[in-house]
Amino acid sequence: MLWMAIIFIGSSINAQSNLQDENILSPNNRLKFGNYLFCGKDYLRAAHEYQEYLKFSNNDTVRFKFAYSLAAIGRSSEALDNYKGLFFSSTLSEDARLEFYKVNFLTLPIENFRDMCTMTGYLPEYHKQEVERLKLFTHLLDNSYLPDSTEFINTYHEEDREEITSLYLRKRDPEFKNPTKAAIFSAIIPGVGKIYTGDYADGITAFLATGILSYIAYDNFNADHKFRAALFAGLAVMTYAGNIYGSAASAQIYNAGIQFNFESDVKLFLNKKNYFIPSHDYLCQ
Amino acid sequence: MKYLLLTFLISTTFTFAQTDWVKWDAADPSYEMPVTAGRDYQVDNSNIGIFLLSGAVKTYHVLFSDVDGDNCPFYPSCSEFFISSVKNTNIFKGTLMFVDRFTRDINFFKSRTKYPFYKSGKLYDPIVNYTLNYNSINYIPHNHIVE
Repeated sequence: MLWMAIIFIGSSINAQSNLQDENILSPNNRLKFGNYLFCGKDYLRAAHEYQEYLKFSNNDTVRFKFAYSLAAIGRSSEALDNYKGLFFSSTLSEDARLEFYKVNFLTLPIENFRDMCTMTGYLPEYHKQEVERLKLFTHLLDNSYLPDSTEFINTYHEEDREEITSLYLRKRDPEFKNPTKAAIFSAIIPGVGKIYTGDYADGITAFLATGILSYIAYDNFNADHKFRAALFAGLAVMTYAGNIYGSAASAQIYNAGIQFNFESDVKLFLNKKNYFIPSHDYLCQ
Repeated sequence: MKYLLLTFLISTTFTFAQTDWVKWDAADPSYEMPVTAGRDYQVDNSNIGIFLLSGAVKTYHVLFSDVDGDNCPFYPSCSEFFISSVKNTNIFKGTLMFVDRFTRDINFFKSRTKYPFYKSGKLYDPIVNYTLNYNSINYIPHNHIVE
């Protein structure tokens, strides 16, 4: 019994002393925890752990992950600085350059990004095509000229071409409604302009409102109620004119919706394709 | 001293003791639609036209809207839309914008699936979308809530 007590107390003291020896905030522990967070996509906390680790040791993989985490949490300028630090004499140079372009694509105005793509100093040696694809894709996001369809579509991988063709055609021939046409339609028959822009209920309401007011005015003119006739005629004219104006506005809002949906689809596609950049799955293996 | 203390205790008991002996009960629910809190009744006198229009709309608020309740399904409400549209454009264009808004408000089919929601639960329908300036349109999809 006495021996058992001695062993128990001894092992407890030993365990305690081991605990004191190990520093849970050591660089290696920080790195392990940072990697765990990084693979769990908790980039905010991963960046902090990597930052602490990099104070002790400069490691290219860790710096790349640190930059990647910073980009993911929106600290773009710091991410770019860290990527730039890997541009030369690093095995991750190609990946860093590609990510560098991705961050610039997401943060810079499109014109400036296209200018940057022409600067050869930053271009990756073996992945120039990926940057070219991203650059070409920017033409779908602004109102610059649209490259030739064959040239545009053939730049991308075979499996992406169907979706890219669809996006290209949506950009080239957007299903916009003409505001002038909508206004003219409503001028001919009240409400038809709104029906043309897809606002069926508003169009029928406008037709009925104008029709009812016009009928009341007409009826009062016939009954020689001049004031009431003038009042309702005025209201009918206002409704008629307001509907013409509203039809043009409705067509513009419809077009804004088409543009919004197109841009959302383009961004979703880019995100799904990781901006045409090879994925870095090896970082979490 | 003893009497003074006694007087003090008795007087405070009578003064501050419970006087309401009516048994508490559940309040009757009110089904009145609350008028939008903090409505501004100040008439805008930036110019004579706005002064007259603003005066007419504020009169409408006092005489009708406050009595009838907050029934406009849109944010901003039709009357506020009228003033703002005239201020942002001109009396002619602002009136056309208002008439169009009013026609959409009286939509017989109550089909309003194209508007996003304002945080108060009303349909968000800003003036900037109707100025016929395409670049100023703030398009927000229907299923979004505007803060």
